[in-house]
Amino acid sequence: MGVGQAPVVKRPWLPRWLTSEHPFPWLFPAAALMVVFGLYPLYKAVETSLYKKNAATRKLVWDPDFNWTKVLFDERVWNALFNTLMYTGIALFFQLVLGMLIALLLDSDRKGYGLLRAMMTLPLVIPPSVTAMMFLLMLNGSFGVLARGLVAMGFIPPGFPILGDSSTAMAGVLLAEIWQWTPFMVLIMLAGLRSLPKEPFEAAAIDGATPVQAFFRLTLPMMSKVIAIAVLIRGIDLMRAFDYVKVMTDSGPGTATETMTSYAGRIYFGNADFPYASTISLLTLILVIVTSTLFMRIFKVKL
Amino acid sequence: MSFRDYDKKTFIADAARDFAARRISKRDFLKKTAMAGVGFSAFNLGLLGNVRRDRGLTLGEEAMAQDAEVNKWLKDVSGPFKGTKIRYTSEATPPTVVLDKLKGEFTEATGIEVEIEIVPLEQVLAKATQDVQGQLGSYDIYYLDQSWVATFSQDTVDPIQYYKDKPDLAMPGMDWDDFSKPLVDGLAVYEGKWVGIPFDIPIMTTMYRKDILEKHKIAPPNTVEEFTAAVKMITEAEKANGMYGTGLQAKSGHYSLNCDWTQVVWNEGGTIFGADKKFAGNNEAGVRGLQVYQEWLKNSPPESTNSTWDGQWQMGASGQVALINSWDEFFPGWDADDSKVKGLWECKRPIRGPKYATPADAGFGEIPGAAHQGGSILGLSKYSKNLDAAWIFMQWACSKDIMTRCTLGGGFAPMRISSFADPRVKAKEVVGPGTTRHLPVVLETINNDMASEPDMPLWAGFSNNEIPVNLGKLLTGQDFGGDAKKCMDTIASAIDAAVAEAGL
Repeated sequence: MGVGQAPVVKRPWLPRWLTSEHPFPWLFPAAALMVVFGLYPLYKAVETSLYKKNAATRKLVWDPDFNWTKVLFDERVWNALFNTLMYTGIALFFQLVLGMLIALLLDSDRKGYGLLRAMMTLPLVIPPSVTAMMFLLMLNGSFGVLARGLVAMGFIPPGFPILGDSSTAMAGVLLAEIWQWTPFMVLIMLAGLRSLPKEPFEAAAIDGATPVQAFFRLTLPMMSKVIAIAVLIRGIDLMRAFDYVKVMTDSGPGTATETMTSYAGRIYFGNADFPYASTISLLTLILVIVTSTLFMRIFKVKL
Repeated sequence: MSFRDYDKKTFIADAARDFAARRISKRDFLKKTAMAGVGFSAFNLGLLGNVRRDRGLTLGEEAMAQDAEVNKWLKDVSGPFKGTKIRYTSEATPPTVVLDKLKGEFTEATGIEVEIEIVPLEQVLAKATQDVQGQLGSYDIYYLDQSWVATFSQDTVDPIQYYKDKPDLAMPGMDWDDFSKPLVDGLAVYEGKWVGIPFDIPIMTTMYRKDILEKHKIAPPNTVEEFTAAVKMITEAEKANGMYGTGLQAKSGHYSLNCDWTQVVWNEGGTIFGADKKFAGNNEAGVRGLQVYQEWLKNSPPESTNSTWDGQWQMGASGQVALINSWDEFFPGWDADDSKVKGLWECKRPIRGPKYATPADAGFGEIPGAAHQGGSILGLSKYSKNLDAAWIFMQWACSKDIMTRCTLGGGFAPMRISSFADPRVKAKEVVGPGTTRHLPVVLETINNDMASEPDMPLWAGFSNNEIPVNLGKLLTGQDFGGDAKKCMDTIASAIDAAVAEAGL
């Protein structure tokens, strides 16, 4: 045994795969949790989606094609899909742009900026449903403070129901989403910005580059991986949008803010059609997997 | 998404909604959110505003006197069940809120604990659906809205039969004939079976601001035509002052919109289903009814398309509207001490259309009429693991004594004929918190005008999804270009296909 080497403890009474040198005992709890809470529910969802439910008798009949065919011809699914993608796209755009701008403003060591950065986290600790309730009240056409502000600025007529009108409801929901999650982008961008090396920026400054040139030629390219990961994380989350929609509009008016998850929720809890709701949920899962895989391929994101 | 996940996600939302709707105080709201691990900044607290109180629910001394005979029976019968815990979930209806306050008396006498989960209506449906689908018996009693009675009829024990089968547990003086017959027929009975015991009966009446109508020299309307003319006139005259003719519960995708819609269809002589069991809302009468509703919407606060019954009540309480054809249970809250409209609202029998279809013209047990009833029943779960303990509680909760005291506590309509005539209830027929001055009108309405939605297993889904979602598209301009007929045709094809698929 060389100096500094740990003594090898032999445990002849245990098989090797159960000793601490083997990864199995360490992976087992996580793997078991994954099977119980991840794979089994997924298996049940797939299995449930292959049954057809009689709404009158509540009997489940094996009919593998029924729900998967129905989902393709259901106009509300396509509307929900469009809304989900629109919601994701718009929210991501604003959160990314605002997140980067605010991060650039806060990227300073001057006095008080640390406090400002800490305050940015405040919206993140509020549960989304409470944020949704706050915006629901603030956007109320009769007494909401934001609605009154918009009236004062001449954007909407007095009493206009922002969340009760199909042309503005989505914008109202997005406002809450963007308010709450932009700080998340700010934090990620700030972490990225503060880890960038100083030398390229100093060299650029000596060469006479303007701040705008430095941002587009240096900051953005060097931040591309950080941005890609931030977009991926938020994108996956946004495609599962439920809380704001449920609390603020309940998918309405009509189906103007209905997303894939909120539609699945309505079918599950309103119509009690568990097989069809499972099918819509699985379709959402497929959507998330496909788009995130494509994104990772296109932007060469490695996790 | 799992049921558990759904629960988690909506817990805080529900607490927040309850707070906004005055069902819970700010203290309770904060407690709930704190339980969920929430930290608030002072900014957020400031946004939440001041404490809001109940809708005039008061428990006076008269409501606190426990009937000695009932108490004795409870003590005698409950011995084997001491320590049992029974559970049910309910919407925050006035009788449930009062019963929740009174249940301690039951526990004291019996040793049986009662847990009442008070959640929004759609969650009550979700929890009951989950329970019956898995036959879990998580809930011993189901609170069933009238629109779900057929759906859950196979999951409950017939109380009349159980009363006969279990004489040792039968409450003396239960007096089943004391339940108003129209309520039993319209609410509790499906295909000859009592699915549960009538528990709550909000019913549509016409309520009006006496001062505003007098100011404009308008007589309280008796017909749909008079009502429409009055709301138009008031909107025209008072809109500049922030007042509209009427207010609606027209939230897209919500059951409240379905209730409003069924009423306007009936008022024009239409039915939801024809005798052939086909959707009939798209016939001439149905379309005419919806057009009347579109006209009312033009004369109501814009927030109507984003309001359920809570929002509609708020419109009345804040002095935003002069006439409402809706739930009678709004009335006591408007008479509360802190109400700015105390004593200003009056109640009358609902406005009537030119003619009404008969039950024979309709399908699935639908009863067309001028007063949509939104009642509920308490059903004893077939899957309960504490069936007998739950049965004792159910009899107690629906007894003469408790029902009358619930009315005294909140001023809402009782299920029992004897409660209407109770001297304590009569004594409260004055302006004030928990007033019962609207109850004579309510009794008359129940006996003469009561209407009920179709009794069919698919109705819970239709009335919460297909109908209010498509109506929402029409009323908010998302689809159909304002064409009521197109909207109704879309609903008809969806519903007829689903009914055929279910083999009904």
